[in-house]
Amino acid sequence: MLAKTGIDRLDELLKGGIPLKSNVLIYSPPFIGREIILKRFALSGLQEGDTILFVLTDKSFQDMREEMKKLDKKYEKYEEEGKIRYIDVYSPSVEIKEESEWVIFVDSPINRERIASSVIQTLKEKEGKYRVIFDSLSTLIVYSDAKAVFRFLQVLSGICKRMGATSMFSMTRGMHEEIEVQTIKHLMDGVIELREEGARLQIRVQGCGEVISRHWIDYLLEGEEIKLTGAFRMGRVA
Amino acid sequence: MIETGIPKLDEYLKGIPEGKSLVFYIEPGVEESNIGIHVLHHNLERGLYGIYVVSESSPKNVEKKFREFNWDIKKYDKLIVIDGYSSLIGAPSEEKYIVEEPHDIRSYEDVLLEVMEKIEGKGVMVFDSLSNIMDMCGERETLEGIERINKDVGSSGFATIYNFIAWPYKEAIIYRMKRLFNAIIEVNVVEDVVTRQRMEVKKVDWNGAEGKKFEFKIFKPEGIRIYIPKISVIGPFQAGKTTFIKAMAKNFTPVERLGATVGVEHGTVDYKDYRAEIFGIPGQERFLPLLDKLGSSSNGIFLVIDSTKPEEFSLAKKMLEKFSGIPYVIVANKQDLPGALKKEEIKNRIGLPDASVIETIAKEGKGVYEAFEMLAEKIMECLNAS
Repeated sequence: MLAKTGIDRLDELLKGGIPLKSNVLIYSPPFIGREIILKRFALSGLQEGDTILFVLTDKSFQDMREEMKKLDKKYEKYEEEGKIRYIDVYSPSVEIKEESEWVIFVDSPINRERIASSVIQTLKEKEGKYRVIFDSLSTLIVYSDAKAVFRFLQVLSGICKRMGATSMFSMTRGMHEEIEVQTIKHLMDGVIELREEGARLQIRVQGCGEVISRHWIDYLLEGEEIKLTGAFRMGRVA
Repeated sequence: MIETGIPKLDEYLKGIPEGKSLVFYIEPGVEESNIGIHVLHHNLERGLYGIYVVSESSPKNVEKKFREFNWDIKKYDKLIVIDGYSSLIGAPSEEKYIVEEPHDIRSYEDVLLEVMEKIEGKGVMVFDSLSNIMDMCGERETLEGIERINKDVGSSGFATIYNFIAWPYKEAIIYRMKRLFNAIIEVNVVEDVVTRQRMEVKKVDWNGAEGKKFEFKIFKPEGIRIYIPKISVIGPFQAGKTTFIKAMAKNFTPVERLGATVGVEHGTVDYKDYRAEIFGIPGQERFLPLLDKLGSSSNGIFLVIDSTKPEEFSLAKKMLEKFSGIPYVIVANKQDLPGALKKEEIKNRIGLPDASVIETIAKEGKGVYEAFEMLAEKIMECLNAS
């Protein structure tokens, strides 16, 4: 059983999507497509009838809502149906707050305990498949340290798995020591990495079950879309 | 003596002697992890000092946390907040006591010493949370600091209380941490019918309460309540089960047709420190095959009988036998009617000489809470025996 990422050729590369109930790290520098992957993953889940849980540390839930609305006109309808939940760890620190029944506010990125219990609370509320989008682990690491976040993630990823959610966690390339990145990767079932090689943008998949290629593959960023342009059919590469 | 203000826990610990330290060792992901704040509030309410060391969220949130339980923060002039948060995220602080170097446990110690010098009197110090400070200041360094803090603060007539979130730290660190405290109270999640939390005394060096436990939930604004997720009320048709539940419960949902209950009814009982969910199971014979299913995973059973109808006792006993091993109380109802049998007679006739029987007049509310308290105590005993 697979969860489609919603990016056609990436799904092809992944032989259909990422395995259900797995935890995948999206490891990428800012502004080269990380957010697109997360948002497309959310949309594809909504289209399949899954419930989406956003855990946001860098933007408010309203910002996410606005961005998502631009991608899909039905987004508001999904939200009305209770298909979209947010844990907003950003707004309380900047003190803009609009209450909504779909949001739980956590007062600080240091309050990892509160984040974990809010995730559990949300996942427990309703039967059905969940997709968790955690954006981003980097903020948590900046406010404390990688080891503490590692312990937190050890608990949280276990909970998400046990409760049947398929999860994407994001981390910003260039913000952390290599050892920190390795520590976090260790807890994941897969990593989707993005990088900038000169003028080229490239993507690579590690883990994530069976995939067609584990090499770096070129892609293009076009508006709100990622297009894999590099070849990865084994037969064709040679 | 310092009290925790937490029902049952105070009964088990007999309070906390001054100079002692206690840690709430909390499984990550429990619905409400801030147990210490209840100890803090209880002692402020008793006119003692409450020092609250905050490191996980802004001190501005303390007022909000208090408000969730309808506590008015302005009432407590002996509340002292130590801000270990603002410097951490580089935010300005309006607090009087600020930890300038939140990555150094000594900076916490300095502020605490300053506070202790200025005040005279007893109280509690609550650390929220120890695990977070260990993450910030280093595990070993923090534990060494805590040992000094317990000594310094403890010698001034204070009890020290710590919230500790049990993330997967290294065994050796957990071992060292546990050795530091006079008492360890474990807080876990229990998940079967209803999610709730369980407290268990794992260590206490001033009496023998180790192994004692109870289940609870934190309600807003009511606070910590001993929680019983399912008590079933069974008994023959027309014995007065619905009336019995109505007499105890708030927000009662009846399922009646022409005075007979035709489905499972529900009510919530709040009595003393307890909150219990009560389920009434209809008594017509046609429901008998369903009895054990409807009543499955009950924590306790009320068997309601009509004290004037000994001919129904054998049926009543048959019903009860479906729940062997579950604590029960026999409710000898309709004591106002002529010919109502008394409890000794009932025990004999029903053939349960050791049973607990409470005489009630449910329609007047007589004896109902007595029955409730007796069953609740039995449920607690049963939990502690397991």
